[in-house]
Amino acid sequence: MIDQSTILLFITVALASAVEATEALTILLASGITRGWRSTFEGALLALACLAIIVLAVGTALINYVPLYILRTVVGTLLLIFGLQWLTKAILRQTGFKAPHDEHDIYNKEVAVLSKDAGIRGKRDSLAFAVSFKGVLLEGMEIVMIVISFGLATRSGNQLAVASLGAFVGVAVMVVIAAVVAQPLSKVPENYMKLGVGIMLTVFGMFWMGEGAGVQWPLGDAFIPVLLAIVFLATLGLIAYFKRVHKEETEVSP
Amino acid sequence: MPQGKTGSTIWKAVKSFFSFWKDFLVGDSPVLALGVVIILAVAYLLRSYTYLAPATVIILVLALMTFTVWQKARKPRRNPQSQS
Repeated sequence: MIDQSTILLFITVALASAVEATEALTILLASGITRGWRSTFEGALLALACLAIIVLAVGTALINYVPLYILRTVVGTLLLIFGLQWLTKAILRQTGFKAPHDEHDIYNKEVAVLSKDAGIRGKRDSLAFAVSFKGVLLEGMEIVMIVISFGLATRSGNQLAVASLGAFVGVAVMVVIAAVVAQPLSKVPENYMKLGVGIMLTVFGMFWMGEGAGVQWPLGDAFIPVLLAIVFLATLGLIAYFKRVHKEETEVSP
Repeated sequence: MPQGKTGSTIWKAVKSFFSFWKDFLVGDSPVLALGVVIILAVAYLLRSYTYLAPATVIILVLALMTFTVWQKARKPRRNPQSQS
């Protein structure tokens, strides 16, 4: 039977993976269009293979050799750090203190860099290979961390398969959309998605870190939605307050 | 000096490995990472208090989140178009 925390886990991993996939796809698109698709695909495929090996090797080793309370402590701490990083950046973007993530702008910058010495389409292109390999590997590392964390730290034990499926679905949806529109995914509400994922990572991180440290959460797993509501309301409060601060600052110093 | 060259290559690789993980885990928010570790320590110390421990963890996480946003909002913005 699928319980509530499994559904939340699936949604969180799928959303986080979709956000990271959007950024990786922008790099792949810029590389493929300016330098050719062959080496771009080769670099991306090699990076995906490396990521899959990391999930299997690290995931399996951690399941077999590390006690659950240590896993929850480490995983919760990492997720809380990631979650708060995502969340604070998303709040700063929502309030105007940070420029919104613009895939079109990133795409144009990548194209400008990659356009130098372009013109070897069809042949092996080491720059396209390196750019796509690095782009997919770096963006994918965050997905891997989230998949491993969520896959190992749940109360019901090993959920690595559910987390991996969530990541696959999130990435696959973005790849299909990118293939259909064939341009940077600038219409994806990336900033809102990051806000949502930031809240979820923060909540799961707080919950598991607490459990790992020995904290008894009231109601057990059923307390996760309560934590979600608390962090969501706090985020709304911070956005409202800092929006006002930003507005006052821009009015004082035009 | 092939040995020296190999040593320097290994040293560079080790340095870039740790620098990657530092960027990955700490990024531009060392206070945030340190704050989370402190919250973990507090949670461990208060673990036997049924209600105090969860309440303290929640309050500290919200306080850390507020402080980080406030700190970054106050920073002089040299490059407001920064995407990172």
